[in-house]
Amino acid sequence: MPCVGKDEVRRHREMTWMRVDRYFTGEGDDTQAVHQPMMCQHCANAPCETVCPVLATVHSTDGLNQQIYNRCVGTRYCANNCPYKTRRFNWFDYPRADELQNLALNPDVTVRSRGVMEKCSMCVQRIQEAKAEAARTGVPLVDGDIRTACQQSCPADAITFGDLHDTESAAAGLARGPRAYSILTELNVDPGVTYLADVRNRPQHASGERHGQ
Amino acid sequence: MSRRIHVALYTSEEKLLGALRASRKAGLTVLDVMSPYPIHGVDDLVGIPRSRLPAACLAGGLLGLGLALWFQYWTSSVDWPIDVGGKPWNSLPAFAPVAFEMTILFAGLATIFGLLLRSGMLPGRSGVIRDLRVTDDRFALVVTRPDAAVTDTELAQLWRDTGAVEHRDIVEREGDR
Amino acid sequence: MDSDHANERVIDGDKSLSDVTHDIFSPLETRGSGRWWAGFLLAVSALLLGLVAVGYQIVTGIGTWGLNRTVGWAFDITNFVFWVGIGHAGTLISAVLLLFRQKWRTSINRAAEAMTIFAVMCAGIFPLIHMGRPWLAHWVFPYPNPRGSLWVNWRSPLLWDVFAIGTYFTISLLFWYVGLIPDLATARDRAKGLRRHVLRFFALGWTGSARTWSRYEIACVLLAALATPLVVSVHSVVSADFATAVIPGWHATLFPPYFVIGAVFSGFAMVLTLMLVARKVMHFEEYITERHVGAMCKILVFTGTIVGLAYMTEIFTAWYSASAYEQFLFKNRAMGPMAWAFWIMVSCNVISPQLLWLRKVRTNLGLVFVLSLVINVGMWFERFVIIVTSLTRDFLPSAWAGYTPTSIEIATLIGSFGLFFTAFLLFCRFVPMIAASEIKSVLLRRRAGDDRPLAAGETQPPADADARRAA
Repeated sequence: MPCVGKDEVRRHREMTWMRVDRYFTGEGDDTQAVHQPMMCQHCANAPCETVCPVLATVHSTDGLNQQIYNRCVGTRYCANNCPYKTRRFNWFDYPRADELQNLALNPDVTVRSRGVMEKCSMCVQRIQEAKAEAARTGVPLVDGDIRTACQQSCPADAITFGDLHDTESAAAGLARGPRAYSILTELNVDPGVTYLADVRNRPQHASGERHGQ
Repeated sequence: MSRRIHVALYTSEEKLLGALRASRKAGLTVLDVMSPYPIHGVDDLVGIPRSRLPAACLAGGLLGLGLALWFQYWTSSVDWPIDVGGKPWNSLPAFAPVAFEMTILFAGLATIFGLLLRSGMLPGRSGVIRDLRVTDDRFALVVTRPDAAVTDTELAQLWRDTGAVEHRDIVEREGDR
Repeated sequence: MDSDHANERVIDGDKSLSDVTHDIFSPLETRGSGRWWAGFLLAVSALLLGLVAVGYQIVTGIGTWGLNRTVGWAFDITNFVFWVGIGHAGTLISAVLLLFRQKWRTSINRAAEAMTIFAVMCAGIFPLIHMGRPWLAHWVFPYPNPRGSLWVNWRSPLLWDVFAIGTYFTISLLFWYVGLIPDLATARDRAKGLRRHVLRFFALGWTGSARTWSRYEIACVLLAALATPLVVSVHSVVSADFATAVIPGWHATLFPPYFVIGAVFSGFAMVLTLMLVARKVMHFEEYITERHVGAMCKILVFTGTIVGLAYMTEIFTAWYSASAYEQFLFKNRAMGPMAWAFWIMVSCNVISPQLLWLRKVRTNLGLVFVLSLVINVGMWFERFVIIVTSLTRDFLPSAWAGYTPTSIEIATLIGSFGLFFTAFLLFCRFVPMIAASEIKSVLLRRRAGDDRPLAAGETQPPADADARRAA
């Protein structure tokens, strides 16, 4: 992901695929924050897919919402129609004059050119690599074989990735649990991402509201 | 084979219509009428059959509708079905706008090209202009005498009676038309 | 209806057929007045400014506009909807009023149709240049290709736009051209030398034959009958860009009729602006009379009131829906950080046209001109309010953002006006601005039969005693 600099961030043009939304409870010293990572929700009924004139964002058989960079013509209609506003646009060519820095870019991820949309791909390169490896060795994939970059780097282990169709997977188990909820379900976009409600044991505020639900 | 045709010029729609009726009564064959604007009621007197452009328009529209519906269905359900926003392969309601626009486009093109081809109007075509003033303020009546049924004197009298401001005879060969 | 209106005058002055020809065609045979050249140079300068802005934007990137990750459309699509809307009055005048046999349309239909074509040209540019990679714009067309063939997404309203605008432009252009053929023939028969050869090419060998006229009239009625549902469908499809989206403020079933009536409203305002200027500059006061202006003013009051009703219906729907997002949106529109745009829209579109109820206002041409400009401004802001305020604050507050246009966007808007007026001024100079053959068909004098046979050498029919001709 390119670093666009503070001026561009000030213009709301950051390129991060995941942002962390904060919701607050309480007043003054008693303020508590609840964090909610927000990235592409990989909706089954994705509003972004319907509006793209050139089929540059479509659904994969895995249930991923895919962005096809080399097909994108950059109408930005998908970003407008995303209720979560998790899509990012390449407003300029973000050149990297420093060749050494270029060598440090992830070779598994396509470099996006100017004028195309991008967003969280659910680390599709890792999924594809694991599937290819499984096909080569003949050993079927099991839950936990694929870890997304955000899952790998989260120190609190707050992110779980897995196949929701596999009822035995950790992700499917959590998604069935009592704390599970999705965001903006009233829009019937059927997000592929499930959140777990934050439950805190705070006796002095037993009746306190919980945000982030 | 050549034939003699006669062109008379008038200054108003009324005079032209009068002359048209008188010519038919006298036994002349009315070939055409030229006017700066369309004259209502002239079609029957000249013997112009009802245009079939409405049929061409309908046929064009149906062709456009059929092609658009089929092509949208074929590309999204048969040739390469792609999951777009969880919609069915054959998203018929979403295909309606393009089908409608193609209906109008094909119907309109059929009408316009039907008009141009049937009227022999093409870029650069010169057309047989009987008098340069028929696009300004003159009305031209073009007749011919079948088997010389009307004499020259009778014809001259007819032009005088109907108030023609000018008249002339033209010998037209087959290749001229 | 035809005969009932036989005594209704379309134009002023007791014109003969050849007067009409002379009045309409002689301005085309001159070198153009100083005022024309001044206007033309101004328009071309604006066009060049726009070209520079667009060139810079395409070379550098869409980032030169003020858009951000939340507001993906602003000036671009506002201008697009604005210009498409302007175009609709031309089709309405030429097609709908033809079907309703409104004879007064004959004075203004040619210019209004030309306005349609130029406005659709301006509109069509924006979906093209708003793309991140406009050089790949041909991908929106479904053509066989080595990628699969990978076709297009027929479910996308942007693709519907491609077909709707494409069809609209094609049919409008051909309808206009067909209407022009008899007048091109008149110009051809008046011309000499090179001009005659050029006109001969474009007049398609028109002879004025009754056989051609018969087919021609049927074709015009058919095209009008096709253009009428077309014009309704085009702005409905444009409104579907928003109505089919999920964003509060866009997602509204009211949009198709609301957009169509708004388009008629803005289009008639633009027709008035242009006609009030053109009748002065081209000296067509006897053809575009105060009665024409009055009729258009009445249409403005009528459509402006419906637009006001649509605004209220939107707010009512938000309240009645009990949707927190919808209710927040309308509070934010009227009282949020972009409330100024909302109130410009309301005062220009709903309040100002109400003045036209007064006959005194309708007959004050200067005031009508100002009001027509005010409505044009208001209708631009309507689209801006719908597009931008809805996007800036939608579902999740963490994604909210503002929007400020850059100089590049403003220059592009000015450039689109430059293109429009350049094209319109060229039209005034090179194409008969008033449909002469149609005016001739509604002249009163042609029915009177007051012309005597001309004496030898006499070319002009004599003027009546009470003729009020200035010349």
